[in-house]
Amino acid sequence: MPEYPTPNLDNDQVRLVGLPRGTSGVLMLIGLVALAIAVALGWRRDDQLRAFSASYLVNYTFFLSIALGALFFVALQHLVRAGWSVTVRRSAEILATGVVYLAVLFLPILAIMLLGWTSPYFKWLDPQTIADSHLAREKLVYLNLPFFTVRAVFYFLVWGLLARFFFKQSTSQDTSGDPMLTRHMEKAAPVAMILFGLTITFASFDWLMSLEPAWFSTIFGVYFFAGAVVGALAALILLALALQAGGVVRRAITVEHYHDLGKLLLGFVVFWGYIAFSQYMLVWYANIPEETVWYLARQTGPWTWVSVGLLFGHLLIPFLGLLPRVVKRRKMLLGVWATWMLVAHWVDIYWLVMPTFAPRHLPFGLLDICCLAAVGCMFFAGVIRTARRCALIPLKDPRLGESLTFENF
Amino acid sequence: MLQPEHHHDDSPPVVGILAEFDGPVTLKAAATGLRQVGYAKFEAYSPYPVHGLYEVMGRKRTTLPRLVLAGGITGCLVALLLQWWTNAIDYPYWISGKPLFSLPANIPITFELLILLGALAAFGGVMVFCNLPQLYHPIFGCVKFRQSSTDTFFLAVDADDPRFDETATADLLRSLGAESSELYRQPRTVKRIPGMIPATAALVAALALLPPLWIAQVRYARKTSPRIHPILDMDFQPKYLPQQYSPLFKDTRDMRPRVAGAVSVDAIIGHVHLLRGEVDSPPADTFPMPVTSEMMLRGRRRYDIFCTTCHGLAGDGDGITSQLAFEREEPKWVKPLSLHDQPVLGQPVGQLYQTITHGIRTMPSYRSQIPVEDRWAIVLYVRALQRSRNATMDDVPGELKKHLKSIEQSDAGIPNAKP
Repeated sequence: MPEYPTPNLDNDQVRLVGLPRGTSGVLMLIGLVALAIAVALGWRRDDQLRAFSASYLVNYTFFLSIALGALFFVALQHLVRAGWSVTVRRSAEILATGVVYLAVLFLPILAIMLLGWTSPYFKWLDPQTIADSHLAREKLVYLNLPFFTVRAVFYFLVWGLLARFFFKQSTSQDTSGDPMLTRHMEKAAPVAMILFGLTITFASFDWLMSLEPAWFSTIFGVYFFAGAVVGALAALILLALALQAGGVVRRAITVEHYHDLGKLLLGFVVFWGYIAFSQYMLVWYANIPEETVWYLARQTGPWTWVSVGLLFGHLLIPFLGLLPRVVKRRKMLLGVWATWMLVAHWVDIYWLVMPTFAPRHLPFGLLDICCLAAVGCMFFAGVIRTARRCALIPLKDPRLGESLTFENF
Repeated sequence: MLQPEHHHDDSPPVVGILAEFDGPVTLKAAATGLRQVGYAKFEAYSPYPVHGLYEVMGRKRTTLPRLVLAGGITGCLVALLLQWWTNAIDYPYWISGKPLFSLPANIPITFELLILLGALAAFGGVMVFCNLPQLYHPIFGCVKFRQSSTDTFFLAVDADDPRFDETATADLLRSLGAESSELYRQPRTVKRIPGMIPATAALVAALALLPPLWIAQVRYARKTSPRIHPILDMDFQPKYLPQQYSPLFKDTRDMRPRVAGAVSVDAIIGHVHLLRGEVDSPPADTFPMPVTSEMMLRGRRRYDIFCTTCHGLAGDGDGITSQLAFEREEPKWVKPLSLHDQPVLGQPVGQLYQTITHGIRTMPSYRSQIPVEDRWAIVLYVRALQRSRNATMDDVPGELKKHLKSIEQSDAGIPNAKP
């Protein structure tokens, strides 16, 4: 293995400076106000919080997927003992700890379900659906409120512990410089991966797939995972651009890191397309009513155009856009495509959730923007709070030198 | 070897000069220096990729990515064209009601061929750009060069370079940090591939043509002997066919004559009317059992189970199987006869019974599925169906008349509503 020069970051700002003191608090406040507006906008006399619930679920899942994608990114780097990614890994570690705040933000969903502040959030809570559908009835062993709650608690426990573990180990290495900490994380990575794979699969079954209790797709978890990693990579690229624009980690993150993040993004865009098509083709070919019903809702009325839009906007266009080498090496171009993918990922989640709540029309409006702002602001309030307490790159990671001098061919 | 060899007139021509360096940094610096002086034809060898070396040597970026892209696009288009032509044009075959040419079904092949041709373009491109396969290169003459893939860094300056001079280039390389340099020449004896190898290859290639030629010949030639049967497909089964030899019996015939004293099942029971539907050999005109309303009901249920799929609920030959077959344009499908037209209408009940028992034309025998009494019950129901076509209001019992009237009134607006 070639020798790498000792990391030299003397002139680089590695702490989150430039943001005013109370940013987290202000964001928190904006989030709460947005939440209040969203509740007011989403209130219907006949159906209480149903419109709000749907929109909240979309935006909550959007940010959750980014945090989970970041957690996957961290575990992956340790699993393969990656050297190139050390300087961008801390951003992912910080994003992943956001899952702890998201656990709190899950409470509104649980509260609405438990207190029944709307017509049933999930159709399996609706006695009429259960009475009408034999398939849904048979699933009640799994789909019932107590077990649902227990599972949700378990998912957040696993994610929270994993995210905190990687964050704690990595930040304590910043001061101690102990290379054994890296070895600990590498040993934990395979276990983390298995736990992550199981929890994200079942969480997506619980929170997205069970919206239509009779429908089932065994690949659904992989589909959600693929989208989550796309979202997380896009978020990591934009985060790095934002940090550098703010004068932080200017030397630590180079064009080579952007290039590799771009390559991963391109790879996961294709992976998402592969999985999305795998799910679609089997349903299309078998043409069995209990499977096609889910796609029927998405091929009816205005949802047809959202589906076609996803095919082009989430796969074909960004595939061609991210393909050239030069795009991945120009910060501005890559930033544009990362933004594009983040929007496409949001539309993807919206497309997963909304047709159940609004099968005939696109209910997009101010409510969704308020929910996006609410969850986003509170999520980032937490993330910024965490980011302030540590350096923005792993200062004493044994592979930092390799990462700093990393070059693509 | 610190000194370059002196050129002797009898030695083979010099191909280039190989200089050894102690690490990637000096290698890169030397390459920069060579390029600054004006050398263009030189090559670098290192055990692992050295960042930036490509650039300081003044090489352009490879066009390989574009080649791979072209391969991928070709694969994509070829796959779509192939599937469109084979499925929709050359051999249209309707499967599961899907369109003959439908994108979802064609995506997997398209994707695979895209990847395949992309990968082949990458493989072929590398082979061509690197002049592979190359079995020998004069640089192999330098013993030290063997270390180029383990721990040593080399620069090789080509003698074709206009600035090349055996002494001056060697001096320059040493001044650029070379630990040693060495001339390498054309080999004294040109080693050739042994004649046996190309001869064998040609022979194998020629022999490889024989099987396809032979297949083509047997495919298109007319012969009296049976054709060769490489794929058996259960065509030859260990079973006895009519008129064959069997070692089991003394007379070696596999077809056995009736055993002395054996009687047929029908004959044992002796009820020819019930079992064969015959009365004194022509088909019977009467039922062998008393006709009851229970029998009619039973016949109707059995008819609905066994017959409706083809003959339709009312016996018009429009059952679901028939409808589907016509929808799918099944070439071999024959519409079942309507039970309300000749010749069925004129057939005696015994003949209807025989048809169910033995099957007729494409209709299979239902002997094994439907018991004797049920067959007769079905015949009775068929008779009722036939009669219903020519029924008048007087045939309807009093209670049902009222019911029919009410249906008639409610259906008044619907065309073709049957009373």
